[in-house]
Amino acid sequence: MSIIFFIFVTSLLYMVAKAGYKRMPWPIFHPLLLSPILIIGLISLMHVSADQYLDRAKFLTHMLGPATVAFAIPIYKHLPVLKKYIGTIVTSITVGTLMAIFSSFLLSMLMHLNNQFLVSVLPRSITTPIAIEVSKDIGGIPTLTTVFVILTGIIGGIIGPAVIKRFAIKSTIAKGLALGMSAHGVGTNKAMEYGEQAATFSTLAMIFAASITVLWGKFLIPVLVSFIG
Amino acid sequence: MKIIMIFIQIVFIHLFLLLGAGVKALIPIPIPASMIGLLLLFLALCLKLVKLEWVEQGGNWLIAELLLFFVPSAVGIVNYDEMLSWQGFSTVLIIGISTFIVMSTTAWIADKIMIRKERDTQ
Repeated sequence: MSIIFFIFVTSLLYMVAKAGYKRMPWPIFHPLLLSPILIIGLISLMHVSADQYLDRAKFLTHMLGPATVAFAIPIYKHLPVLKKYIGTIVTSITVGTLMAIFSSFLLSMLMHLNNQFLVSVLPRSITTPIAIEVSKDIGGIPTLTTVFVILTGIIGGIIGPAVIKRFAIKSTIAKGLALGMSAHGVGTNKAMEYGEQAATFSTLAMIFAASITVLWGKFLIPVLVSFIG
Repeated sequence: MKIIMIFIQIVFIHLFLLLGAGVKALIPIPIPASMIGLLLLFLALCLKLVKLEWVEQGGNWLIAELLLFFVPSAVGIVNYDEMLSWQGFSTVLIIGISTFIVMSTTAWIADKIMIRKERDTQ
């Protein structure tokens, strides 16, 4: 009973937030900020703990698995452009993922983040389902990583248009790649404003960023983590 | 009718996740099961073992509502009081600066490559 109730309420609040954000696209109304806040309010009124809630709503989290698999569909549909621009994609995304990991690492060291936060922030630039896996792999905390990924997306969506303007980025392909690399799904959402081509490259950037970061999670991040002990 | 179609297609896509988990259980590949599932579905589409129409509606729905599946995990943040302290503030700052760096370098490099490509083809 309460399982169905919490899945239903979560979906409902998400839809409400999504509809609200469409009308008033202010960062605070972002569905990934507003709906969790509403749910936290609701469960504290109902005297349900976060862990109890997470357990009852885990079906929704589980859906991240098939959602990741589903990304095979846009890759397949965009295969001709993927083949044509594979060099551009791999080069820019390899640099992007390295920048994401090294800048997060160095800034965290500089600001004396505790180890739990530091390790969990490293995979923050990729789509959540894969970020969670990388986080587990490198000894981070998946919940923290999820929140950092969400914050990354929201911040990336906000600063995206300004960065593209400031750096006078002309190519639509570059705009899409930058948004997908730096702000995963939220960036891809934003890329749609620059047209179908930007959205396609943003999707491809997101998938490549996730795949390449999985590799860094195996070989590079453990070396960095070993420095902090 | 459309909802039933989407539901059936999601169950079908889910099979690829299970296949991915199965492959991972047999051969210890160091990548997530969902990623293996993605590769398997991609190969099945390329080899025409699976038709695009079989998975397209369900897949589009999953991708369009991706954010919903993150909501419960985001609620889990209440278990971390540090988010409301200096530690949390620093983290948000780090994420902001780092996201800016990632976005600008990726955009800059991709733009440079694209400009060179265009020049070469002219």
